[in-house]
Amino acid sequence: MQIELKGRPIMAGVSRGRALVSSKPLSFLGGVDLKTGKVIQKNHDLCGRRLADTILCFPHGHGSTVGSYVIYSLVKRKVGPKAIVNETADPVVVVGAVIAEVPMVDKIDISQIRTGDLVEVNGDKGVVRIFREEKPCI
Amino acid sequence: MHLTKEEEKIYEGEEGWAYQIAMRILVKLGDLFKADWLIPIDSAHVSGVSYKTIGDAAIELFEALVEAGAKSKVRSTANPAGIDYNHLEEMIKLPEMHRKQAKIINLYEKMGIDPILTCTPYYISRPKEGVHLAWAESSTVIYANSVLHSWTNREGGPSALAAALIGKTPNYGVHKPENRQANVLVRVESDPKDEAEFGALGIHLGRILKDEVPAFEGLLHPNEDQLKHLGAAMASTGMTSLFYPCASCPKSSSRLETISVTADDLKNASESLSTTNEAPDMIYIGCPHCSFKEMKKVAQRIKGRKIREDVKFWVCASRYVREKAESYVRMIEAAGGKVISDTCAVVTWLKEIGVDVLMTNSAKTAYYAPTMNKTETIFASLDECIEAACQ
Repeated sequence: MQIELKGRPIMAGVSRGRALVSSKPLSFLGGVDLKTGKVIQKNHDLCGRRLADTILCFPHGHGSTVGSYVIYSLVKRKVGPKAIVNETADPVVVVGAVIAEVPMVDKIDISQIRTGDLVEVNGDKGVVRIFREEKPCI
Repeated sequence: MHLTKEEEKIYEGEEGWAYQIAMRILVKLGDLFKADWLIPIDSAHVSGVSYKTIGDAAIELFEALVEAGAKSKVRSTANPAGIDYNHLEEMIKLPEMHRKQAKIINLYEKMGIDPILTCTPYYISRPKEGVHLAWAESSTVIYANSVLHSWTNREGGPSALAAALIGKTPNYGVHKPENRQANVLVRVESDPKDEAEFGALGIHLGRILKDEVPAFEGLLHPNEDQLKHLGAAMASTGMTSLFYPCASCPKSSSRLETISVTADDLKNASESLSTTNEAPDMIYIGCPHCSFKEMKKVAQRIKGRKIREDVKFWVCASRYVREKAESYVRMIEAAGGKVISDTCAVVTWLKEIGVDVLMTNSAKTAYYAPTMNKTETIFASLDECIEAACQ
């Protein structure tokens, strides 16, 4: 089964990987450990999860604009996400995706995506494709 | 967003990677906020300088930018760092912090950004009315728009840096006259008397206004220092980047939604900024960094008095103001206080230098210190701060 979600292209490039989905805004400065790429923001539904090689889906960023530099460093250290999908892009995450050169799409209903889904993000077209194995009804 | 041929070339990378990245940041933000084109700026002011707040994250990018030949195109200045290298006896003792902080300052300098290391660049060079700027640091932004009448959006560290390198900023937000209209009238029923009360008013309003543009009614001849504290506090709890100190100022119309602020509102806002009744181990004056007049005021009130041995008394001002106010610096030092530059209480390591309870006349510092510095706070007037500091 393939689901196609149409959003807005923010940063060009195509990436494919496993989705890591959060329903909460994420602050990269103070919320993600720079060395390990692990989420450390307290009371966050991704707390303890690693961002490395994921297609990171969350509503939007918040907090310090230094968060953009954090996204850059995570990606350069290879502990950052392969692509970013947001409901509403905010300046911190947009600038982070631009300087880290990570494909990004927003205006996506991320509740359609589940953690672990195989996902392809097309940042040129603003399209997110979900490839999900159909499970037989029991 | 429309780009000129020259801007297109930079976007495509013809002037190298550093300018391409900077142009991409401006264009993506411009698209996000529906800007129509890029406009030239007079100056840029970047935040994200203190190693305590930005950590290692920015160093790698700055190194790559410097390597790629990034140089600012307009006068560009930098916000406070985490350390005053002229007062190391007062600072954190970890050599690694000293090294990393020096590296960040050096990288900015290599990009042509003047390390004035203050949130009050306007005391060093006051921008002209009506010019466009790309300034970061929320207190600096709101002061520029509301007191200096120069125009800047509330930039973040990266977008101000990108604007410095390109010499332009996307035309949206308060760069457009239609977005500079007051859209809410604030009737102040209790006249704030000093900078602390102006700060409390700002804290209260920031919480309810979000990003609206307020015009004030009932502020009786506020001076620039009081407006600095009002704006800094309002921009801390809210997203406001522009206000009009008097409702009769041009650009505000009479038919506006009205918010009344009572004496109780100010009292509650004030009280919300104190977290303890314990004795302070640091008294802090100078957020935002002191003006010449504020230095004079502190000096005159502390002249001939003696600060207790068991309490630190810090007054922060830019190196520029410090030099201008040399005689006042001597008076503060004679009483046992320190006049610190290049950093401030919020962006330096307070816990590590033994501060658990911070007393301040700055509403902005009192608002941020419990989370940014993990200290308890006491918010009070300058007079109360000086009384608490002295024997």
